[in-house]
Amino acid sequence: MVDSMDEQEPLMRLLLATAREDRLAFQQLYDRVSSRLFGLCLKLAGQRELAEEALQDAFVQIWHRAGDYHRDRGTPLNWMMGIARYRTLDLMRARKSRATVGDESLADLDDGRDGPLEQSLKDAGATRLTGCLNELSDVQRDSILLSYYRGLTHEELALALSSPIGTVKSWIRRGLMALKRCLEQ
Amino acid sequence: MKQTPERIEALAAEYVLGSLQGAARRRFERWMVGSSAVRQEVRFWEERLGELSTALPEQAPPASVWQGVSRRLWPSRERSAASVPVARTQAQGVSGWARWFWPGWSLAATAAAVVLALLLGVNPGTRDTGAELALSGAVVQPDVDDPLWLVSETANQNQLRLRPVAATAANPGKDYELWVVPETGAPLSLGVLTAGNVTVIPLDDRLRKVLASSRTLAISLEPRGGSPTGAPTGPILHVAKLYSL
Repeated sequence: MVDSMDEQEPLMRLLLATAREDRLAFQQLYDRVSSRLFGLCLKLAGQRELAEEALQDAFVQIWHRAGDYHRDRGTPLNWMMGIARYRTLDLMRARKSRATVGDESLADLDDGRDGPLEQSLKDAGATRLTGCLNELSDVQRDSILLSYYRGLTHEELALALSSPIGTVKSWIRRGLMALKRCLEQ
Repeated sequence: MKQTPERIEALAAEYVLGSLQGAARRRFERWMVGSSAVRQEVRFWEERLGELSTALPEQAPPASVWQGVSRRLWPSRERSAASVPVARTQAQGVSGWARWFWPGWSLAATAAAVVLALLLGVNPGTRDTGAELALSGAVVQPDVDDPLWLVSETANQNQLRLRPVAATAANPGKDYELWVVPETGAPLSLGVLTAGNVTVIPLDDRLRKVLASSRTLAISLEPRGGSPTGAPTGPILHVAKLYSL
């Protein structure tokens, strides 16, 4: 399991040391998680240049904000992934850049049912989430995953799914609420 | 817009998903600042949807990303001055091995005082796997802002790299020679070092072993072409301790 405490405890220590401005700990933290974060930035941005810039910004933020981290903000890895993700989204919005919006994004995002995505979600210990995503309708699920993994706007989603924007919005909204009910059970 | 529980619930999910954008996103961020209920809702989604992120394949970023991070956090002047966590005096640093080997070596008489520095930013891609420790460090001089040479070991290629930064050429007719200093016994030559180019030194098993245990390098000033005797003959200019990163 990717999120096991075995992995999180060392990250916690390194993050605490980083909060005390321990540069060596920060570099070790970078060595341990930068590939995870970069995989996410790259998937979202769809282009290396922006992903690299976002990753750099994210680590500068992690250095400055390490002192803000505490356990109820999630695991250290999730907290850092969140910083990287929001930074990537911000840059994408600022540049209005999206490498591909059309068929290509749909083609290389597998729909998650019985595909590699579902397997890697299971490997990551996200069986609950996987199960709940499976209860959604195909379009709800697709629009949620495309938004999450590709950072698509409502407009881009409407284009990608060849559907009116109002329809796409309601897929997302209803899908998320159904997902929440399922996760809370 | 009024903050009803239903709105908070719906907007928090879309905020984390990323589909909430523009003015609506900025307004929601103001809601987060002002309300713990809103923050709590956002955390719920960050945690649950965060699982989607951890399922993605890893991608190693290029070394330039770390270089950029360290450049932004620690501009070079500050880096060489302030980030010297281990600044030992010469006596502490070298007495163990040097006293017996260079009996005439007066600490006060050395041309350059020696500071041992751990420089972050060297060898950024190296993972400390335990099995393959990669060493790095710097040859520095207190009155020079930048390190003279940056030293890094590429563990899987069995090489030691010295990149000149602020090093100046040796006097005419002289050369710098690099030595690995064992914990006991005589220094082993690693060859002549230039101030102008990166020097790459292949390490055989024996040299690697000695270096891995003593982690100490020395630079002496020798006649052109290096020491004629196989042992240091000129003054020891620098001693550098390496660290595993």
